[in-house]
Amino acid sequence: MASLTVLRLRSTDLALIERQLRVKIAQLPHLFLDAPVLVDLGALGDGAAALVFGDLVRALRSCKLVPVAVANVPDGLRGAVTDAGLGVWQPPALGRTRGGGSPDAADAPAAETPAPEAQATETASADVALPTGPSAAVAPPRAPHAGPMVVSKPVRGGQIVYAQNNDLVVLAPVNSGAQVIADGHVHIYAPLRGRAVAGAQGLAGARIFCQKLEAELVAISGAYIMAEEIPAQFHGRAVQIFLEGGECRIAAL
Amino acid sequence: MSKVVVITSGKGGVGKTTTSANIATGIAQQGKKTVAIDFDVGLRNLDLVMGCERRVVYDFVNVIRNEAKLQQALIRDKRVENLYILPASQTRDKDALDPEGVGRVIEELKQMGFEYIICDSPAGIEKGAQMAMYFADEAIVVTNPEVSSVRDSDRVLGLLAAKTSRAELGGPAIRTHLLLTRYSPLMVKRGEMLSVGDVLELLGIPLLGVIPESKAVLQSSNKGAPAILDETTDVAQAYLDVVFRYLGQERQHRFIEEEKRSFLGRLFG
Repeated sequence: MASLTVLRLRSTDLALIERQLRVKIAQLPHLFLDAPVLVDLGALGDGAAALVFGDLVRALRSCKLVPVAVANVPDGLRGAVTDAGLGVWQPPALGRTRGGGSPDAADAPAAETPAPEAQATETASADVALPTGPSAAVAPPRAPHAGPMVVSKPVRGGQIVYAQNNDLVVLAPVNSGAQVIADGHVHIYAPLRGRAVAGAQGLAGARIFCQKLEAELVAISGAYIMAEEIPAQFHGRAVQIFLEGGECRIAAL
Repeated sequence: MSKVVVITSGKGGVGKTTTSANIATGIAQQGKKTVAIDFDVGLRNLDLVMGCERRVVYDFVNVIRNEAKLQQALIRDKRVENLYILPASQTRDKDALDPEGVGRVIEELKQMGFEYIICDSPAGIEKGAQMAMYFADEAIVVTNPEVSSVRDSDRVLGLLAAKTSRAELGGPAIRTHLLLTRYSPLMVKRGEMLSVGDVLELLGIPLLGVIPESKAVLQSSNKGAPAILDETTDVAQAYLDVVFRYLGQERQHRFIEEEKRSFLGRLFG
């Protein structure tokens, strides 16, 4: 099943979009590197007309993203979208509900400064309609049932293991310079010396469990703790890391 | 059966070329037909360390480019029977190496009956290093007891598991061995160096041997005679142990503990 990152625009200010994107990308650079992106204009309504798609493509490209298509394209802009080399993505459900007539979408383009979550990214399965409510921007990934991804060999420096839409179980050390990432939980039954990221697509309930914490960085759903910030009492201990009040917490196991 | 063995490390200056020269010499001394290939194209050190630099006419790149026959480029060692060197080119760079050419040369060496093909990798993880490891059946990862060297070795172990012919064709994993060089028990004791245990815990691969830090290495390099030829030195003893262990004999690990010096030794040392 193909999965696309959706970029939901709430502003047409390209400089602002690029700035916010770079902040977002800096948190999880490997996840977004060369990622195909679906640009959703639904929240812009008529304001979408102010977008210059060629410039938008250039801005996204400069962030090492690959814009592939645009969703919720107003009829008058189809030509501009295709001229910029982008596809028009319009599954039935999406096309009908996001015509630009919903009240919150009409307000949006007038706002000078978009809400902080303006460029929130999310993953949506391409063969499923995008969620339509305003809360959709933080929709969690769909639960996996294929069983977790299991890695039994050491994860060495420079290697990245990513369990997409899944939990990750690592039975060998994650060495410094290595990264283990999961959209669900990360379990490491060995020392964690590199980086671990759980809830990589925003699942706030994701946790990291490890037998021996010597990590360079641990992150859950975008919140992270660097090695220096890990309290000494947890160093070398078996711990779990979870999100509480938007911040990473560590607790001994 | 031929075995292709890459001597690699990631970090430079840890003793890859020294190790290649000594292990190739030691294996050949046991009657096995052995060749050492210098993959450090553009720098060329192995021939110096093995003392055959004046006899280099054609090199590895000439053979890859079909400018010379393999037999013309192979240099036969004057001291040890069964030992040959395939020197690197000094006038080209690593781009001269390509998988087809390297594969063809290695295949030809196998046809010639070489039992051990030792590939001396350049430092780094770029093309030269990747070509040196690409056709390997086994790898000896040379590491100094020092954090950055260990980290680079870890990186190289990751590449060995992913970017080799065996990995790409889904064959059995490359067998990896750890060789800890420039080891100083005294510095370990003072806490100035990682211990054998520390390094093994970090890298998690079997220990092939420990080579003590010694002036004999530098002296032998300058002389162009691998240290293993002078059996009186501790480095030679350490490399001999490594060779025998590698060929399947049981040998106790040595040079890990600080040597207990006798009273006289302390007086005159």
